[in-house]
Amino acid sequence: MMIDDEQAAHRRLLETLARSDASRIKALADDLLPELGAVEVLKSRSGLVMLPMRDTVRGIDFHLGEVLVAEAHVKLGGVEGYGMVVGRDLEHAMAMALIDAAAFAGLMQDRVRAFIEAEAAIIAKTECQTLRAVEATRVEMETFR
Amino acid sequence: MAYVAARGGERAIEQSQRLYRERLGTIDAARVDEIGRALPWLVDRIMGEASLYAPELAALALTQSGGDLYEAVLLLRAWRTTQPRLAVAEPLIQDKLFIHRRISAAFKDIPGGQILGPTLDYSHRILRTDILEGAAFDPEPVERSAEPAPPHQPSLASWQKAQGLVVDFAREDIPKDDIPDLTREPLLFPASRAHRLQSLARADTGGVMALGYAVMRGYGPAHPTVNELRLGEADVEIAHPRGTVFSAGRVRVSQAEVASKAAIENIDLGFCATLGWNEVKIIAGGTLDLNAQHATKGSPFEEEFFLSHTEPVEGSGFCLHFKLPHYVTFQSMLDAMRDARRKQAAKASKAVVKEPAE
Repeated sequence: MMIDDEQAAHRRLLETLARSDASRIKALADDLLPELGAVEVLKSRSGLVMLPMRDTVRGIDFHLGEVLVAEAHVKLGGVEGYGMVVGRDLEHAMAMALIDAAAFAGLMQDRVRAFIEAEAAIIAKTECQTLRAVEATRVEMETFR
Repeated sequence: MAYVAARGGERAIEQSQRLYRERLGTIDAARVDEIGRALPWLVDRIMGEASLYAPELAALALTQSGGDLYEAVLLLRAWRTTQPRLAVAEPLIQDKLFIHRRISAAFKDIPGGQILGPTLDYSHRILRTDILEGAAFDPEPVERSAEPAPPHQPSLASWQKAQGLVVDFAREDIPKDDIPDLTREPLLFPASRAHRLQSLARADTGGVMALGYAVMRGYGPAHPTVNELRLGEADVEIAHPRGTVFSAGRVRVSQAEVASKAAIENIDLGFCATLGWNEVKIIAGGTLDLNAQHATKGSPFEEEFFLSHTEPVEGSGFCLHFKLPHYVTFQSMLDAMRDARRKQAAKASKAVVKEPAE
C-alpha cells in the first residue's frame, strides 16, 4: 500500500512536471540549482518513443507511430533524477530531471510541493475549460414518433 | 549497348534549387510558427503519414517544402532516422483516451453519448471572399457548458461484444517490445494484423481514401457505416528508471471502427487509427480493413494491393523517379524499336517483290 501511494505521488510529480509551463519549470530549476551541489548529467538528448495502440476489434497491439521526446537523466550524489517530455525541449526535460532528483533527495521540499500544486491547478483548470467546450457539442437527440 | 557514365548539369542543378527556394522566400521561425498555428489539420496529416509526432518539425517540413506534402513527409521520415529509439510506450487503450470528439453513425444512443467536438460536418461551405477585401473573420467563441464532459468515454465495441453483437476475439498479450514493427522489418504478405494496422496508420491519406472509396462505391462487398469515431489525446506513458510509469505528455490521435451493413449473425467491424486528427483516412482505412477478408487477388481491397500502394514515400518516390534521366533505357528501347521497324520494312519489301502466280 505504501509503495502504491509512493508511486502514485511520484507519478503525479512527474506528470505535472512534464506538462507544466516550460518557462516556469526552467525558472524553478534555475533557482534550485545552487542548492543541489554537483550535478552529473548522464543523458540529455532528443529521441523517439514508439507508441503502440490496442485495436478495439481484435485486441491486437500495433505501432501507431513514433513520438519525438526530450530526455534527461542526472545524478546528485547518490540520487538519480529523470525527465522526459513530448517535444524537443531539452531544457524542460533537464529541469524536470533536476526537480525529480531534488524531490527524491528531500531538498527544497516546500518549494517543489508549492510548484507542483500550483502547476497541477493550472493544468486542471485548462483541462476543465477544454472539457466544458467539448460538452457544449454534445448532441441532445429528439426522436419523432 | 553498354552503360556510359555522364556528367554535367551541376550549375543547372544548383540554379534550379535556388529558383525553387527563391519562390519560397525567407524562411524563419516566425513563418514556421504561423504555419503550425494556421494549418493544424495539415500538420496532423503530415505527422500521421510520416509516422512521427512532432508538430514543430512537421510545420517546418511544410514550410521548407512550400507545401509539397510528399516532400514534407520525406523530410520528416529522413530526419526521424537521425534519432535513437529511447523506449516503447505503454499501449494506448481506447478507454483511456482524452476525448474531444466521439460519434457513431450506426447507433444513436451510444453509452456516453454523441459528442461532435471540433467539426465543420454540419456547416455550409462558403468561401469568405470578403476577407480578401479586408474584412477580418473572428470566430464566435464557444458557449461552454457549465459542467465539463467526462474526459474518457466507454468503448462502444466493448459494449457490443458484451451484448453478443460483435465477436469477442480471444486476445493474447505480447510484450510491447515484441510487437511487430515495420520500421525494423519488411512488410510481407499475408501481413500480421499488427503490420497491417501500422501500415495503414502511416499510409498516404489520398491513397487510402481512393481505394477505400472504390470499395464504398461497390467494388467491395461490405458497405461501411461508422460504428464509432474518436478524436482524442493519448498519454505517452513510459517508465521512470525507478519503475514509476508516467505520462511524458499527450499526442493527438484518431481512430475509427467501421461496421458492415450486411450483418447477419454478427456485426463485422474494421479498424484504423493514426497519429494526428485525420478522419477521412481512418474511415477509408477501416473500410479497407473490414473488406480485406473477402478480397480476391488484385482487387483494391486486397491487403497486398492497398498496403503496397498507399505507402507515401515509396509511392511518390517511385512515381517521381520517372522524371529523372532514363536515357540509357530509353535509348535501348529506341534501338529495339528502330530494329523492329527495319525488319518490318525489309519483310514488306520482300512481300512486294513477290509477284502473285499468274
